[in-house]
Amino acid sequence: MVTFHRPVDLAEALQVRAETGAIPLAGGTDLLVRHRNWAGTLPRIDKPVVYVGHLQELRRIDISGNGSGPQMTIGASVTYSELLDHPTTPQLLRDSIIELAAPGLRNVATLAGNICNASPAADAACALYALDAEVELAGPSGRRRLPIAEFITGPGRTALNNDELVTAIHLPPDNSTVKFYKKVGTRRANALSKLSLCACARIVDRTVTEIGIAVGAVAPTIVRDRDIEHHLQNTAPEQLALRIPQTLQQYAELIRPIDDQRSTAEYRKHTALALIEQFLTHELR
Amino acid sequence: MREIRFTLNGREVSTSAHPMARLIDVLRDEFRMTGVKEGCGEGECGACSILKDGRIVNSCILAVGMIEGAVLETPEGIAATDRGRAINAGYAEAGAVQCGFCMTGMAVATEALLRQNPAPDEHQIRTAISGNLCRCTGYAMIVDGIKRAAIKGSGLW
Amino acid sequence: MNKSPISTAVQRVDSHGKTSGETRYLADYYYPDMLYARCVRSTRSRARILAVRVPELPEGYYYVDHRDIPEGGENCVAMINRDWRAFAADLTSFYGETIGMLVGPDRSRILQIMDSIEVEYEDLEPAVNIDEALALKGGPIHGSDNLFAEINLTKGDPDAAFARAARVVEGTFESGAQEHVYLEPQALCGTFEDGKLTIHASTQCPFYIRHSVAEALGWAAEDVRVRQTVTGGGFGGKEHYPDVLAVPLAVATLKIGKPIQLVLPREEDLEVTSKRHPSRITLRTALDSDGRILGMQLDTIIDAGAYESSSRVVLQRAVFTGIGVYDIPSVRAHGRAVATNTVPADAFRGFGAPQGLFAIEMHMSQIAQELGVDEDEFRRRYFVRRNSATITNGHVPEDVKLNELLERVKQLSDYDRKRRSYARGGGRGIALAFVQHGSGFTGSGERDIIKARVRLRRTEDDVIEVCASNVEIGQGVDTTFRKIVADVMEIPYTEVQLLNTNTDLTPDSGPTCASRSVGVVGYLLQEGARKLKARANEPGPIEVEQEYRQPPEIRWDAETLQGDAYPSFGWGVTCIEVQTDPVTLEAGVTGIWAAFDIGRAIDELVIQGQIDGGIVQGLGYAQIEKLESSNGRFQQITMADYVIPTSLDYPAINSCLVDNPYPYGPSGAKGAGEVVFDGAAPAFTLALQHAFDLPLRRIPVTPEYILEVKKHARNPVHA
Repeated sequence: MVTFHRPVDLAEALQVRAETGAIPLAGGTDLLVRHRNWAGTLPRIDKPVVYVGHLQELRRIDISGNGSGPQMTIGASVTYSELLDHPTTPQLLRDSIIELAAPGLRNVATLAGNICNASPAADAACALYALDAEVELAGPSGRRRLPIAEFITGPGRTALNNDELVTAIHLPPDNSTVKFYKKVGTRRANALSKLSLCACARIVDRTVTEIGIAVGAVAPTIVRDRDIEHHLQNTAPEQLALRIPQTLQQYAELIRPIDDQRSTAEYRKHTALALIEQFLTHELR
Repeated sequence: MREIRFTLNGREVSTSAHPMARLIDVLRDEFRMTGVKEGCGEGECGACSILKDGRIVNSCILAVGMIEGAVLETPEGIAATDRGRAINAGYAEAGAVQCGFCMTGMAVATEALLRQNPAPDEHQIRTAISGNLCRCTGYAMIVDGIKRAAIKGSGLW
Repeated sequence: MNKSPISTAVQRVDSHGKTSGETRYLADYYYPDMLYARCVRSTRSRARILAVRVPELPEGYYYVDHRDIPEGGENCVAMINRDWRAFAADLTSFYGETIGMLVGPDRSRILQIMDSIEVEYEDLEPAVNIDEALALKGGPIHGSDNLFAEINLTKGDPDAAFARAARVVEGTFESGAQEHVYLEPQALCGTFEDGKLTIHASTQCPFYIRHSVAEALGWAAEDVRVRQTVTGGGFGGKEHYPDVLAVPLAVATLKIGKPIQLVLPREEDLEVTSKRHPSRITLRTALDSDGRILGMQLDTIIDAGAYESSSRVVLQRAVFTGIGVYDIPSVRAHGRAVATNTVPADAFRGFGAPQGLFAIEMHMSQIAQELGVDEDEFRRRYFVRRNSATITNGHVPEDVKLNELLERVKQLSDYDRKRRSYARGGGRGIALAFVQHGSGFTGSGERDIIKARVRLRRTEDDVIEVCASNVEIGQGVDTTFRKIVADVMEIPYTEVQLLNTNTDLTPDSGPTCASRSVGVVGYLLQEGARKLKARANEPGPIEVEQEYRQPPEIRWDAETLQGDAYPSFGWGVTCIEVQTDPVTLEAGVTGIWAAFDIGRAIDELVIQGQIDGGIVQGLGYAQIEKLESSNGRFQQITMADYVIPTSLDYPAINSCLVDNPYPYGPSGAKGAGEVVFDGAAPAFTLALQHAFDLPLRRIPVTPEYILEVKKHARNPVHA
């Protein structure tokens, strides 16, 4: 029978995790759905569970300012609703949360849970790629920080060690001037993604100085490629337009979707490329 | 096993259920709050909606160990209040109820919405119930019922 | 609009309890000593079952299978046919078929035991779709040809029509399976009540369950009691399917003697219960040199799954509705219900008509486009009228108000202006669908098969009691039945007592389906109430019965399928407006309008609820409810993957009714529950076809399908 640990603080949670390898549980909207069983029975989980949703250390949103704008530190047990209620939450993240879940899920689900689930279709994770988020982990030997793309190592796989917990997600200042979020879901609300595009750019004096493009549900992990982006930076929008065919070809190499119960590989690829093109041509003006 | 304590419809209660037991099972089987319905068991349909610390949640995908110390309100608890009666009257007047299996969850969603926003517009209402599936009504008459409830219960929220 | 007083909405009798949580559904009853049941199911689409190895069971746990059917009984679920086995014994014909049932007090323990039950199979080659079944892949599943039913109809002289044709237009149209997603999953409980075997069930048809249980046990029907519990939606999915669960449950209850609850977990419900029949319909139309229709050929195929269930009758309705609302002079129709190694398809709101109507509406528009004429005007020219000959060489027995419905919808939607301003292929679209739906059972089914009977009484305490077997499933009969009787008796509707949930207390007024409860049974209640009222001066208790009588002008031959297939029709015009996204190829519905002739509304709000719910369910069918089958297994078996509309998917519907009272309906009412569903899919698809300027031939119309058509369409529709 599955064991449930309810530690009093992060230190105890880490200790439980280190000693038992217990699975962290925050909102439960992935874990308890995946292991659901039958009415009147316990979920089928073959490891102990350590609940972290109540830990005050993980329930905080901290804002620290530097010269370029507010930096956001989102505790691992902060819910989506709390993020939506917070004025600093970047628009891209906000948009992805609104489309990904109904209120009843937003009230318990967490960003940290979404990235630990490491689904290539995780919409909020896609926004984190575009926003250059970093994941903060705590373990017996202290804390470390990883860029989101290094934290998620494959479908359902992360760099989280068995004795570590995600403690926070750090968002650098969002200085983008253009933000574009588009999710193609199975319906209009409370839907899983067929694919999604999270993109942002900074345009200063008619020059695209920074650009970030993340595409979800089209490859084993979320697609973001800094080399391609690099070629698009420091150009005027009209020059950038000339590079679009080549850019799309480059993305076409990276976008390797599958057929599944929600969509087809063909549709996903076609639409992902069409959305990137839309972003580059229509949004970056 | 350690007791798990929480507040249920204003009463301090405790359960000796396994902390990984589904909250819906504890509410239904132990406390006989059968207004909490199981429609899917995967957090998709909203029939098992309750309020946890004033916010709507799906009780089918919460473990009871997660709600230690929380304040819970079930459809039964809400129905017994003046607000609940206003919701009920609004639904009845609008003809919002058909098979009824989703309606207790809808009432919970309505209560959660009106607490945050006592005069919601159409889109806010539709967003608030977007996690509560109904297969009978096509939703419009429920939306109408919520509008009527907001008027009938004006001042209560 | 002239409104009858009975149409004025009242408060539904079930509203309060359902909102407050006081109303109990099946899973809300906790009987002392209650056990739980779980089905052991086949994991092969087609195989011989060589052995079922059940471990030694702990005390209090039971395994039940075909060997537990008592002597004199039969291992079958008796519906129209008896081919569906209660328990698969030596052969399994679809993935998910019931092999046995495990029963016990602790659900965790049951799951543990389930894990250790081994079924040994010898795999056979399955035929999992229409083409494989028609090719008899793996040998026939049913009979020698895999056809559960075949229909051939001729109207006029189709051979001559095609011989004279200046051109022939042909199109093939396909529709997918659809899951009901009643919010309350299938739920039953077997008990002994006063020593009598009693099945409590979430069901549309208590007498169907009684029949199938009694037949399987070899008992007289009266020895079984069925009690309907408040039913959380049906849509056809709780018409016959509960029988499939009730029989094994009854066998288990009889063996064990304790209350047993069987509630399907949602995933199991999605995976193993009956769906709407997938269809493939080919229409060919002969046109003269002026573009007039001379004749039409229909080839209608529905995928019936592994057992017959209602497929014969579903096929009839698909074919009988196959030329829609049009008066086509010559028709040849061929229909087949094909056996496949998949979950048996069964009743779903519309019952074959949505498939037939989707195809004919798309085809009529196809013809109009090929002729270069307006699709609405082209269709309107062929509208049937009173006394028009039907596809079964019967007649349309009533005034047809399609033109009035059309005008009303055009006014509501500002149709003509929008249609003109939305350029074909320009991303916006608006379109109309015209539908009809026969109320009640096909042909003389009401007279010869159902033989509905209702009972009304005035008790010693002066209470009016009404006994009928049509049950509340959300559609409002607990309210409308009371209103019908109260209207005659001139008493408040809340004073009418309705007994409709216990087969021991009510006569059989037939199943709750086929848009028949109000139109057919409601009329019996009205007539019975009139009898009761006529005797109001008599002292003491009075009881009257009312039996169904077929309207005098109806003629039907059940052998040849000739004559008046339906005694009355509901009519509808549905209008859908869409806005498409040129990048993602997604479609958003931006407007919905509809007008219906359902005779007369017994309650306007109840009818509005039917219209709103029916159209939204129809749009789900047309757009988002994708249910694919791979090797005989459904691929979308969670609520996250099989998606039904949320509150944010479709806008509010603007609808109206046109009064057209029917002489054999209560206060003029006809059936309404299905006609409201029928038009959404063709109207939506036609609107999309306009918006994208692509020929669409299949529902659901997903963006994936649009992309496929875009890539493969050599010529746009209007080329």
